[in-house]
Amino acid sequence: MVTIYTTTVCPYCHMAKEYLEKNNTKFNEVNVEEDEAAAREMIQKSHQMGVPVLDINGSIIVGFDRTSIDKALGL
Amino acid sequence: MAAGVYAARKKINTLFLTKDFGGQSLVSADIKNWIGTKNISGFELAKNLEEHLRAQNSIEIKDNILVSKIERHDDKFLVFDEKSGQYETKTILLTAGSRYKKLNVPGEKEYEGKGVFYCSTCDAPIMKNRNVAVVGGGNSGFEAALDLLPYAIKIYILEYTGECKADSVTCDKVRASGKSEEITMTEVQEIFGDEFVKGIRYKNRNTGEIKELLVEGVFVEIGFQPNSEIAKGLVDLDKYGRVIIDSKNQKTSLEGIWAAGDVTDVLYNQNNIAAGDAIKAVLNIYDYLKTK
Repeated sequence: MVTIYTTTVCPYCHMAKEYLEKNNTKFNEVNVEEDEAAAREMIQKSHQMGVPVLDINGSIIVGFDRTSIDKALGL
Repeated sequence: MAAGVYAARKKINTLFLTKDFGGQSLVSADIKNWIGTKNISGFELAKNLEEHLRAQNSIEIKDNILVSKIERHDDKFLVFDEKSGQYETKTILLTAGSRYKKLNVPGEKEYEGKGVFYCSTCDAPIMKNRNVAVVGGGNSGFEAALDLLPYAIKIYILEYTGECKADSVTCDKVRASGKSEEITMTEVQEIFGDEFVKGIRYKNRNTGEIKELLVEGVFVEIGFQPNSEIAKGLVDLDKYGRVIIDSKNQKTSLEGIWAAGDVTDVLYNQNNIAAGDAIKAVLNIYDYLKTK
């Protein structure tokens, strides 16, 4: 399962989402700006507060890091 | 990207290498001075430019590629990337732009993402109901403060010089909120905390007194530094590390290398100017190649 933690206007979040879409990866988006429980969950998982954070089957990736995303997705 | 479009239309055999599409303006929420467009987000602008570039059929584009080294061999250059790719070329146009300048104080690296941020558009919302400090009282500092206004309780703006120098429209908006406090003549000493940031320590440059502010976020907005490392030793750089160019044709000090945009010693760092300068460079490269 793929979850992406985002804020509304963050460009790197948009880029990460578009990248997942381009690679036909289904994902669940959580906006941490609107959902404080999700914000806490993101901080707990990634030990930091910056967005985007991707949880790809348990691999936590901070930022729009294509090389790490490719690796986690097995692309 | 402007250069890429022109190079393709001039049918110059061109390879376009980039880490990603966007650059510094990517994080601007609302650009109001891109000529011909009343307002556009940095993300949309980058997408439009990328689409325009990809619509050209005579240019090869490689993205997610970071150039790591350039070597000169007689009248040609070898360009190396981080993924051990190697390319041979007669001419190079360097448009590597700039990146956020760091404070280089203890705690900054350790707390990156843990309270130290460089992208206020991205990370301001996580500062909901928290006190924050913005380091830098120029345009980017006040724009960060503006991004933080809907979320933060209190915003301290720390400026190194004796006065904040942002545009008055932005300053007025921030000041009118009543949430900000400007502290001038400051030199940041340390960012401290436990797992996350708890505060910032700074020196008053007039009195030498060391003071602390208890904040959970520090947004570093002290300007940019050029991505000119790959050109070091090849072309002349100024004392800020910017590539020195002849502003008439964008030539660097070394024959065969041109540069444009924020990586150069251009007087004004503007999207419109960078695009124009890159086009100027490509046209000059075209003329140069014709004579070869």
